[in-house]
Amino acid sequence: MNVDNVKSQMRKGMLEYCILLLLHRGASYASDIIQDLKEAKLIVVEGTLYPLLTRLKNDELLSYKWVESTQGPPRKYYCLTEKGEDFLSELQMAWDELSGTVNHLRTNLLISKNYEEDSNS
Amino acid sequence: MKKTVTVNLSGTVYNIDEDAYALLDSYLKNLRVCFKREVDGEEIVRDMEARIAELLNEDLGDKQTVITIENVEKVIGRMGKPEDFSDEDADADGKRSWAGDKSTTMGKRLFRNPDDRILGGVLSGIAAYFGINATLLRLLLLVAVFFVHVLILIYIILWIVIPLARTATEKLQMRGQPINMENIGKTVTEGVDKVGEKVNAGKTKSFLHSLGNGIVEVVGFLIKFLLVLLAVCLTPALLFGLIVVFILLVVAVGVAGSVPVMFFQLWPEVDWNIITTVSPALTLAFSVCAVLALGIPVLALLQILMQAFGGWKPMSTGVRVFLILLWMVSLALGIALFLQYPLNFYV
Repeated sequence: MNVDNVKSQMRKGMLEYCILLLLHRGASYASDIIQDLKEAKLIVVEGTLYPLLTRLKNDELLSYKWVESTQGPPRKYYCLTEKGEDFLSELQMAWDELSGTVNHLRTNLLISKNYEEDSNS
Repeated sequence: MKKTVTVNLSGTVYNIDEDAYALLDSYLKNLRVCFKREVDGEEIVRDMEARIAELLNEDLGDKQTVITIENVEKVIGRMGKPEDFSDEDADADGKRSWAGDKSTTMGKRLFRNPDDRILGGVLSGIAAYFGINATLLRLLLLVAVFFVHVLILIYIILWIVIPLARTATEKLQMRGQPINMENIGKTVTEGVDKVGEKVNAGKTKSFLHSLGNGIVEVVGFLIKFLLVLLAVCLTPALLFGLIVVFILLVVAVGVAGSVPVMFFQLWPEVDWNIITTVSPALTLAFSVCAVLALGIPVLALLQILMQAFGGWKPMSTGVRVFLILLWMVSLALGIALFLQYPLNFYV
């Protein structure tokens, strides 16, 4: 059990949710998504994103259209499908629940700890 | 000075150094292997290729016109190695399976080693497979050959049957090393070093060394020549070969028919009745064997000549093995039949 491993597992679990969240803003080019995810430190290597996007597309959560580009070849712009929006709102709920639970545990623990310290002193 | 090649990366043309090309090529091939089992795996690789092109563009700027190995290494560093994704991708419903499969395909395979060979690289390949010293194995075989002559034949068959490790991936499989970017990069660079060695080799060799190499080369060439002699050809040549064999067969049957008459005239005092009554089938079988035993080498010779001057394709291993086996069987059968033949001159 090493801390980096657990941290990357946590990020991994968040990744699909965050991609859908980013695409919720509007259609995006893969490189822009990479930029955002990298800034948020959610991915380390860029190659991670591509299989994920294709998988989400195959699950019909995303779709893409080709858009002409002023520099270089046409680009794939990904956007959420209706199914993707539903999926996202479910994930949203799950996340709220999860963060609620974690916060609950943390505050409870903090309170009991404080209580212990109080009673010890 | 470096040679460059031109590549088309998702629709844009780039000039790229040869070593950089080798690295990029093996990287993309690896990605393909990695996503082979995935739905739309080809699409993933295409998208990544587009991204690689974009990153290279960014990296090149306006002044630099040729992609160097440093550029490629940098881009690969950004994109990540296949095993990075396999760790990051594994999602709950067990899509991890392909990562597991990968480790089994990573297992060792027997190849001939092109980088360390005296004749065919067979022993060097076997040594790599079992992780033992190639020189030791060679010495052992050399000694063993004096006692068990069949080993020579086995060596030749192995030479034909075992494929040569051509790509970096195959070379890694030969040694049983995991196929990842680092190792592929190493192998590719090793190959570059090897070329350098070969260029320098001419100057630094001592007389004995070059004599030894010369002998080995001559012997190797002779053995190979004999080998090719035994072997025969593929597609367009095969049709032609079949026609030749057929004609030879017809001729042989004709000759076989007339031979007894000739013998009868030469040695009228011999009692020929035994043959004529016992052996028409035997005669035919013997003729077929003789035609095959003689025809296959002739055909092989034709193949080498045409391969050298007529632009024929080299034969496939399957055809080669089949013809060699056919040749050996017909030779053995022919000799056996000949000994069985009631025609003995002292009768």
